[in-house]
Amino acid sequence: MKNIFKLFIILVPATFFIFFYFYLSEEKIYPGFQTDEFAFPSFYLETLDDEKIFLNEQDLPSTGLLNVWASWCITCLVEHPFLMNLKGKDIKIIGLNYKDERFNAQNWLNKYGDPYSEVLYDPKGSLALDLGVTGAPETFLIHNGKIIAHYSGEVNERVWTETFLPIINKNNIKNL
Amino acid sequence: MLINLSHYMSILSGASFLLCACLSFLFIKQADASKSLIKNIFSNSCYLLFISFGIYVYLAISDDFSVEYIANHSNSNLPVFYKISSIWSAHEGSMFVWILFLAIWGYFFNLHKPSNDQIKMTSIGIISLILFGFMVFLLLTSSPFTQILPLAPENGADINPVLQDPALAMHPPTLYLGYVGFVIPFAYSISFLIHEEYSYSWERAIRSWSVIAWSFLTIGIALGSWWAYYELGWGGYWFWDPVENVALMPWLAATAFIHSLKVSADTRAHRSWTILLALLVFSLSLFGAFIVRSGIIDSVHSFANDPERGLYLLAFCSIIVLSSLFIYANKYEKLSSKKSTLISKQSFISINNILFITLIFSTMLGVLYPLIFEYLYNEKISVGAPFYNSIYIPITIIAAVFLVFSIEINWNGSLSKIKLLHPLSFSIIFAFVITLYLYQEFEIKNILLLISLFVGYLIIIRYLFVLFMSKYINIASFCAHFGLGVLIVAISLNSLLSSERVLNLNINETKTYKGINITLEQIKVLNGSNYDSIKGFLKVNDGANQYILEPEKRRYFVRGQITTETDIKVTPIKDIYVTLGDQLDDGSWIVNIQLNYFIRYIWASMIMMALASLFIISNTRRQS
Repeated sequence: MKNIFKLFIILVPATFFIFFYFYLSEEKIYPGFQTDEFAFPSFYLETLDDEKIFLNEQDLPSTGLLNVWASWCITCLVEHPFLMNLKGKDIKIIGLNYKDERFNAQNWLNKYGDPYSEVLYDPKGSLALDLGVTGAPETFLIHNGKIIAHYSGEVNERVWTETFLPIINKNNIKNL
Repeated sequence: MLINLSHYMSILSGASFLLCACLSFLFIKQADASKSLIKNIFSNSCYLLFISFGIYVYLAISDDFSVEYIANHSNSNLPVFYKISSIWSAHEGSMFVWILFLAIWGYFFNLHKPSNDQIKMTSIGIISLILFGFMVFLLLTSSPFTQILPLAPENGADINPVLQDPALAMHPPTLYLGYVGFVIPFAYSISFLIHEEYSYSWERAIRSWSVIAWSFLTIGIALGSWWAYYELGWGGYWFWDPVENVALMPWLAATAFIHSLKVSADTRAHRSWTILLALLVFSLSLFGAFIVRSGIIDSVHSFANDPERGLYLLAFCSIIVLSSLFIYANKYEKLSSKKSTLISKQSFISINNILFITLIFSTMLGVLYPLIFEYLYNEKISVGAPFYNSIYIPITIIAAVFLVFSIEINWNGSLSKIKLLHPLSFSIIFAFVITLYLYQEFEIKNILLLISLFVGYLIIIRYLFVLFMSKYINIASFCAHFGLGVLIVAISLNSLLSSERVLNLNINETKTYKGINITLEQIKVLNGSNYDSIKGFLKVNDGANQYILEPEKRRYFVRGQITTETDIKVTPIKDIYVTLGDQLDDGSWIVNIQLNYFIRYIWASMIMMALASLFIISNTRRQS
C-alpha cells in the first residue's frame, strides 16, 4: 500500500510532464485545418438579433466564411481582433453563435464589436453538430454552397495566410 | 555601456548562485564550518542581481532604446511609473522580475537568524540551485539584455494601452511575490527531510514566511480581478480564464498548506501532509510559470510562443518537482505523526484540506482537458464557467460547514457540549432568518445559492459571536474567516442581484431601468495623443442622486485596438457600470448599463483575508 502511494505521487506528475513534452515537441503544422469537401447541412435557425429565420444554405451567401463562436469562449475573444480585421477587408463572415445565451451573445458583440454580417443563433448546437463542431471557435470556408475547408481553433494572421489563402487562391475565389 | 554591465552582473550572479549551491551540498554535514561562507556568497550573489536589475530600471527610466526589450515595450512619452512597469509587461522582463523576487525572498531568509543551522544552509543551497536554473533560462532563452546595434531607434514602440493602469502595473509584481515566496517552505521542508531531524519543529520556522507569501498571492489575485472589472469592460470579477485558474491553484494549495502548518506546529499531527502541501504549492507556482510562458495556452495573459522556452522550463520544472517528490516518497514514513481522533479540530482541517485538493484537481482538469483533447483529436475546445461553478459551489459550501463546526472543537477532540443557548445555535437561527428573508424578498429559486447565502451568514455571525463573547480571540483567524464569510455572501448576492440591460438611446432621450433614469446628453468625438475616442455623457438619476457618467470607446492608432473605457458610479451596495457601444443605423447609441451589487465587498473581503497575516506575524514575534 505504501509503495503504491510512493509510486503514485511520483507517477502522477511524471505523466503530466511526459504529456507536456509530447505536446510541446510535436511538429504541429496546423492540425486543425481540414480540406475535406462536404455539402452544407440542412438547417433551420433564427438570427441572433431580429429573429429572422434562415432556412438551409440558400439563405447564406454562396461563398464566404462561417465562424462558430460563443460569449463563454475565451479563445474566441483572442481570435476576435483578427475577425474585425477581416471585416475591415470587406470579407463577409457569418457568425454561428454556439450553445450560448442570446443576451450574453448580444452583449459580447456590443462590447467588443461585431465582425459578422449575420449571426445565426444556435443555442442547442444543432447546426454545429451537423457541421461536426466539437468546440468553439471553428471557421468554415463556404464556396458554391459547399464547405471546402475548415479550421478548428483560433484563426490569426499566420493561420489565415498559410492555410485559408492558398485554398482561396486555388479555387480562384474573388469576392469572399 | 551600462546594459553590458547589467548583463555581466546577471551572468556573474547566476554563476555565483551555482557556486553557493555546490558549496552547500558539498558541506551538507558541516554547517558550522561553512555557514558564514555560504551566507556571504549568497548575499553577494543577491547584491549582484539587485544591482543588475537596478541598472536595468535606470535604463528603462532614461529611455535607452538601444536595448531591444525596452525599445519594444516602452516609450519616451510614458510617465516614469509606466516606464518601470513596462519592464514586466512582456515575457523577458517579467521573468527578470520573477527571478529578482525569488532572490529577494532568499536574501531576507538568508539574513534571518536560523533556529537550525544545518537545515537553513541546505535550504539556501536549494534556493540557489533554483535561482541558478532560472538565471540560465533567462540568459539563454529569453534575454532582456539584447541590444539593437549599431543604431538605436529614436523612440520606443507603443505599449499596449490596456496595460497602462496603476492596478495592472501592480498586479504582476504582487502575484509574483506570492508565487515565489513559497520557495522558502518548499526548500525548508526538503532540507528538513534530507537531514532527517524529525524532532525539530520546522513548522514554526517558516510559518511567517508562508503566511506573508499567501497574503501577496491573495492581494495579487484581487488586484487582477479588480482591474479586469473596470478595464476590460465585461463587468465580471472572475472569468475562469486558464491563467486565472493557474493562479488560483497555488492559492488553494497555499490556503490548505498554512492551515495544515498550524496543525503540525501546534499538535505535531499530519506532518507528512504538511510537507506534501508545501511541495505542492511551489510545484503549482512553477506549473503556473510554465503554462504562461511556454505558450501552451491561448489566453489574454499568455506570452509569445517559443517551443524552446517551453521545453527548457518543462525540463527544469520536472527536475525540481520530481526530485523533491522522490525525496518525499522515500522519507515520509519516518515522520511520526501523532494520530488524531476522528472528531477533532485537526481532522476537520484535514477534511477541508482534502476538499481543497479536490478543487485543485478539478481546476487542473479544466485547464488540461482542452490540451489533452487537442492533442488526441486535433480540435480545440474551451472549458467555461458552468464546469467550474458546478464544482466550486458545492465544495465551498461543505468546507464552510466544516469551518464553522471546527470552532466548536478543541485541538485534541471532544466536541464542546452544544446546548440550546450556545452561540452556534443562535448563529444558525440568525443565518436562517436572514436567508429566509432574502428568499421572501427576492424569490430565490436556486437552492445552491440559498445554501451559499446561509453558510456565508453562518460564518459571519458565528465569528461575530467569537469577537464579542469569547475571552480569548485570535484576531488573525477572525480576519481571515470573517473575510471568507463576507466573500461568500458578496459573491452569492452579486450573482443573485446583478443585472444588466442594453439600451439604445437617442440624444436627449431618457430611458428607465430598475428605477434609474438615464439620459444621453451628448456624444463627443475626441482626439487623444495616440487614439481617437467617442465619449458619451449620460445623466443618471437613481432617485436620490444625480450624476454624469462618461463612458468612452477608444481606438488606438498603432495596433488598431479598440478599448472600452467604462464609467462606474460606486455606491455602498451597488456599482452602476456603464459602457458605450456602437451607433445604430437610426442614429441611436447602444449603452450597456450594469448594476453590480456588492462587488466591492468581494475585493474588500480579500484584502481583509490578506491582512490576517499581519496579526499572525506579530503573534509569532511575541511568542518568540
